Amino acid sequence: MKTTFAIVVIACLQLFAADEPKSSRAYVSFEGATPVTVSPGKPTPVALRFKVKQGFHINSNQPKSELLIPTTLKLDVPTDLAAGTISYPPGKDVSFPFDPSEKLNVYSDDFTVKAKMSVAKMASTGNFTVHGQLNYQACSDNACFPPKEIPIRFDVHVQNQPGRTHGRTPQSPHIK
Amino acid sequence: MRRNASAILILTLVVAVMIFAGVRSSRGPKVSPMLGSTKPLIYGEVKGKEAPDFVLHDLEGKQVKLSDFRGKAVLLNFWATWCGPCKVEMPWFVEMQKQYGPQGLQIIGVALDDSGKEAIQKFAKEMGVNYTILQGHDAVGDAYGAVGLPTTYFIDRGGKIIDSDSGLVSRSEIEENVKKALSDGKAEAETARSKTKIAS
Repeated sequence: MKTTFAIVVIACLQLFAADEPKSSRAYVSFEGATPVTVSPGKPTPVALRFKVKQGFHINSNQPKSELLIPTTLKLDVPTDLAAGTISYPPGKDVSFPFDPSEKLNVYSDDFTVKAKMSVAKMASTGNFTVHGQLNYQACSDNACFPPKEIPIRFDVHVQNQPGRTHGRTPQSPHIK
Repeated sequence: MRRNASAILILTLVVAVMIFAGVRSSRGPKVSPMLGSTKPLIYGEVKGKEAPDFVLHDLEGKQVKLSDFRGKAVLLNFWATWCGPCKVEMPWFVEMQKQYGPQGLQIIGVALDDSGKEAIQKFAKEMGVNYTILQGHDAVGDAYGAVGLPTTYFIDRGGKIIDSDSGLVSRSEIEENVKKALSDGKAEAETARSKTKIAS
C-alpha cells in the first residue's frame, strides 16, 4: 500500500514538473529586507533589496515608453498591517548596443524598493510575515525575455503597548 | 484499515488531478495553435528539422497556417512590442520583404505579446511593416524552443529549418540566411506541389 502511495505521489510530481514552463531562469534575486519594527501611528519604511544578474537589465518603474513593462512590487499584508506608498528608485538612463540612439531608464546591479508599513492600533505585539512579488521584464545587450515575477517574503516586528501580546500571528497568503 | 487506505489513495489522486487541471486551465486558452504532433524543438538543434506547423490569427482576424506558405522561403520571427532589439530588425525585414518577396520570401512576425491586437497593430503601422504579423501564443514559441526575443528561424521552400538566430544579429547575417532559404528546398517543394496536383 505504502509503495503504491509513493508511486502515485512521484507520478503526480513528475506530471507537474513536465508541465512547468521550460524557461524558469531568474534574472533578478531578492536579497532581503532591512529589519523593521512598526508601532501604531508611526508608519515605518522597509527597504527591500534586489540584485539584477550581471549582463542583464530590467526596466525601471518609470520606463520611457508606454510599451515597456515597468518593474512593480505587490505586497500582500496580514490583516493588522498596511502597506503605504511604495517608493521605487530612479533608474539609470542607459543606451544599449542594440540601439545606441535611444536611452532606456533601467535598473541593473543592485536596487532597493521601499515600502511604508503601518500597523493597526489594536494589533498585537509580535512578528508578522509579509509576502509579495516583484514583477519585471529583463533584457541583455541583444535579447529580451518574457515578463517574470519573483516571490518575496519579509518579517515586520510590531511593537505595541507593553504587555499586549498575541497568540496567533495573522499571515498573508502567498501571491501567485 | 485497508478500506481507509484505499479511500485516502483515491482522494489523493482526485485532488492531484483537480489541482493539475486547475493549473493547466489557468495557463491560457486550452486550444493549442499547433498542428500535428511534433515534439518541441530544442534551440541549437533545429537545423534540418521540419518547421512545426501552427495556425494563428493575423491582425485582420484571418487564420493563417504556416504550411500555407509551403513553396516559399519563410523568415519566421518571434518578437514583442516591449522588446528593444526586435525593433531594430523590423526596418530590415521591411526592406528584405520588398527586395526578396518577388523571389518567394515571406516574412512572418509572431508577436508574443500580451498587449492586445490594437497595440500590436499600432506598433506595426508605426514601423511601416509590410509583412505578415500574427498574434502569437506561447505554445508556438515553446514548440520552436524560442527563449529570448528576437528569435528568428529560416525555413526553406520545402518546410525545413535551415538556420536560426537567437537575439539581435547583424543585417548581413540575416540576409545570408534569407538567400540560403530561398535557394534550398526547391526540389522538395516541387515534389510536394506535384503530389498535391496528382491527388486533386
